[in-house]
Amino acid sequence: MNERELIALLKKKDREAFKIVVETWQGMVYNTALGLLQNMEDAEDTAQEVFMQVYESILSFKEESKFSTWLYRITVSKALDHIRKKKRKKRFAFIQSLYGKNDGQMIEPPDFFHPGVKMENKENAAILFKAVDQLPVNQKTAFILNKTENLSYREIAEVMECTESAVDALLQRAKKNLQKNLKEYYEKLD
Amino acid sequence: MEEKFNKKIEEALKSFDGIEKASPRPFFFTRLEARMQNQKSTWEEISSFVAKPMVSFACICLIVIINAAVIFSSSTSTNSTTNSISQQNNELATADEYNLVSSNFYEFVNTKP
Repeated sequence: MNERELIALLKKKDREAFKIVVETWQGMVYNTALGLLQNMEDAEDTAQEVFMQVYESILSFKEESKFSTWLYRITVSKALDHIRKKKRKKRFAFIQSLYGKNDGQMIEPPDFFHPGVKMENKENAAILFKAVDQLPVNQKTAFILNKTENLSYREIAEVMECTESAVDALLQRAKKNLQKNLKEYYEKLD
Repeated sequence: MEEKFNKKIEEALKSFDGIEKASPRPFFFTRLEARMQNQKSTWEEISSFVAKPMVSFACICLIVIINAAVIFSSSTSTNSTTNSISQQNNELATADEYNLVSSNFYEFVNTKP
């Protein structure tokens, strides 16, 4: 069954077609969400939300772009929503702690170890993920899509709905910012 | 010192090289399906609530009671109007009997026989 036939069946709410769609693209959706969220539970939660939205709004997919591009867009948008919600919760917890309503101390998130990173790179990758987390949203998205999903500039441009030169600029700025963040990190350690 | 930092930074930036893609835990689809079934839409919830036999029976009873109340109240109002009309007729008859009411214009003008 090709992609078109699969989508046509999915538009008819066919369960088997939905199962095939999930099993084909779950890795891609999960890996992208994991790169952006840096937390396995959050990534699984977001991946589920992505497929739920795919099932509900498949009729709005006009087949002007590739199905995977559409999926990437939903994944990025859901993951960024999740980050925003988490930040809001953190801010609220901080305000509560100021008024003494929250007795628990603010817990720093633990280092994130991506399961796909080579053993010898684990420690450095955890430091890099921390630096990536400090990047502005657009730079972070472009960097994760490029490094963890191996997407080309053109594919990233399609997902982020911008030009290839804009993606190039985003990645250049991301690299500069990462160098700056890492330098600060190593200077603090020293 | 600067060189040492630069080396570390370069190593950190290269740590993503050859990164493999992560996959979700097994039975992802089963968990997804279970979550989708738990998340019923609001309309589905409303319709399933209305479809319960007790709720539908209560609704029918309520409709019957409202109908009965409307019919009863309209019949009592009809009775009271009939009563007031008959009272008016009696008053007119008494007035006629004692010639209290002038019924037309000629009675005022032609007072002489």
